Amino acid sequence: MGETIDLGRRMELVPMDPHFHNISIALYRQADGNGPVFRVHSYSNRDGTRQRVEFVARAMAILGGLELVLGESLKLRFPCRAEHPFACRRVFLEACKLDPSQAMEPRPLQILDKKSNRTITVTSQGNGVYLLAAGGEELDKASRIAAVTNGLMKLGQMQVGVSGGDSVAFACGQSHDSLAGLLLVRALNVRAVLREQEMTASRGVLSAPSAQK
Amino acid sequence: MNIQPQTVGPMNSRQRVLAALRREPVDRTPVCNPTSVATVELMDLVDAPFPDANRVPELMARLAATSYTELGFDSIMPVFSIIQESSALGCKVQWEQKDNWPTVKMREPIYQDVDDIKIPADFLTHPDTRCVVEAIKILRKEFGNEVAVIGKTMGPWSLGYHCFGVEPFLLMSLDNPGKTKACLDRLKEATLQFGLAQIEAGADALTLPDHATGDLVSGEYYARYLRDLHIEFAERLAVPIILHICGKTEDRMEFIAQTGMAAFHYDSKNDPVESMRIMRNRTSLVGNINNPETLFSKGPEEVRKEVVKNLEAGVQLVGPECAIPLQTAIENLKEIPKAVKEWHQEKASQN
Repeated sequence: MGETIDLGRRMELVPMDPHFHNISIALYRQADGNGPVFRVHSYSNRDGTRQRVEFVARAMAILGGLELVLGESLKLRFPCRAEHPFACRRVFLEACKLDPSQAMEPRPLQILDKKSNRTITVTSQGNGVYLLAAGGEELDKASRIAAVTNGLMKLGQMQVGVSGGDSVAFACGQSHDSLAGLLLVRALNVRAVLREQEMTASRGVLSAPSAQK
Repeated sequence: MNIQPQTVGPMNSRQRVLAALRREPVDRTPVCNPTSVATVELMDLVDAPFPDANRVPELMARLAATSYTELGFDSIMPVFSIIQESSALGCKVQWEQKDNWPTVKMREPIYQDVDDIKIPADFLTHPDTRCVVEAIKILRKEFGNEVAVIGKTMGPWSLGYHCFGVEPFLLMSLDNPGKTKACLDRLKEATLQFGLAQIEAGADALTLPDHATGDLVSGEYYARYLRDLHIEFAERLAVPIILHICGKTEDRMEFIAQTGMAAFHYDSKNDPVESMRIMRNRTSLVGNINNPETLFSKGPEEVRKEVVKNLEAGVQLVGPECAIPLQTAIENLKEIPKAVKEWHQEKASQN
């Protein structure tokens, strides 16, 4: 009777895609014999939607280090076969934000932190562990690294690494360089990310007149 | 418990909803949507996005129909918003974009006194009221008698908030009860006119939101200001009326049960068992599935638990507690009718 299909559990939604006619695009979690699979989907029937959704899936593969499932253009998985749900949602949101006219490439593992005017670097130590380091003078360096570490843990559900406050680790025990680079950009200001999430979630909720501002 | 499968043959959706509104036996509990189940994904599916779907009859009807065709609900509600008649009365409206609700700019009130209240001559031909009437006609023509088409007309208390502003209206109700009642009496004409126009267009029932909400208005206030008006609506609008009030409202359910309203669309802040006890089968209950925490933020398993809680309490119609958030996942909405059907199958197999 209907046209809606069983796509699994919806993990994330972009209600209005700024790069393609304000269509909604969603990320769904499915599973096959090899573990979690993530499916990008839009219910829009507008011409060009398929290409736009495929672009988002490709962008997720490049920005987040996911791989397209063999023979599929809209389904992805992490090479480690783990779910990494928070990180995957972040990759999806960043892929939707990506300007299609710009080059699509993984984020570097270092970034200029404008707040402290230092270059922050993450370096893979193997087994999913990443060490954070910052250039410049020693004053306040440790606290800034701790803040960025905390941001990575929140955004990617990462764990404290073996060396303590200056390292983080993916629970799967495998390296995810692209993902670490993508998360690093937002980990510098994780509060802004959380604010944005709250604002997005609060849109579209109808309040009684007495509760409207 | 209102389920008597031995004595009731298979029903279609419309029959099921109307029987439950009369508290008559049904083949299974209907899934009813007295406010809105529009989502951004459904807007994309049928190419009927907000704000246009609130202003263009064909889009309004197309989006509303997804409640039945896609989600499997037993009712269709084309009036997604709560601002159509306020717009026709002259309120300024912030129409917003696809991902947000239109709202009345209540900081720019249009009335300050009783004599300001005049129902415009073009009230029912204004584009934003006419859109609703036309959408109901389209739906009735398309679906005939297979599904319940529900209209919506706002009650005078809600219109008072929209037209006077929330704070001025509440202060008036404290300082000058006589003037407040006079305002409500004039505003009720908008409620009646819009309701009657929708009935004439083919609405099977009407939702009547009147936001004497649990957070700002007491049960005693409801009895003082609204009970008699609601009795009048139930008498003069010749279809089942579904009263909608948000928030914790157990303190006024006894008064609501005295109005003759067919049903009360109630919030998840109220306990289904206790609410059913208060209603004593005088008014049906509908709703109760939590929006922000369950339908919007959780998954089908949690939705199912709330559905079952209502079914076990004997609630006559199950559905979301209020207009659902526009980003709600489709799988959560489809879970409501799925859970209802499976619960009934399980009960039938036990008998």
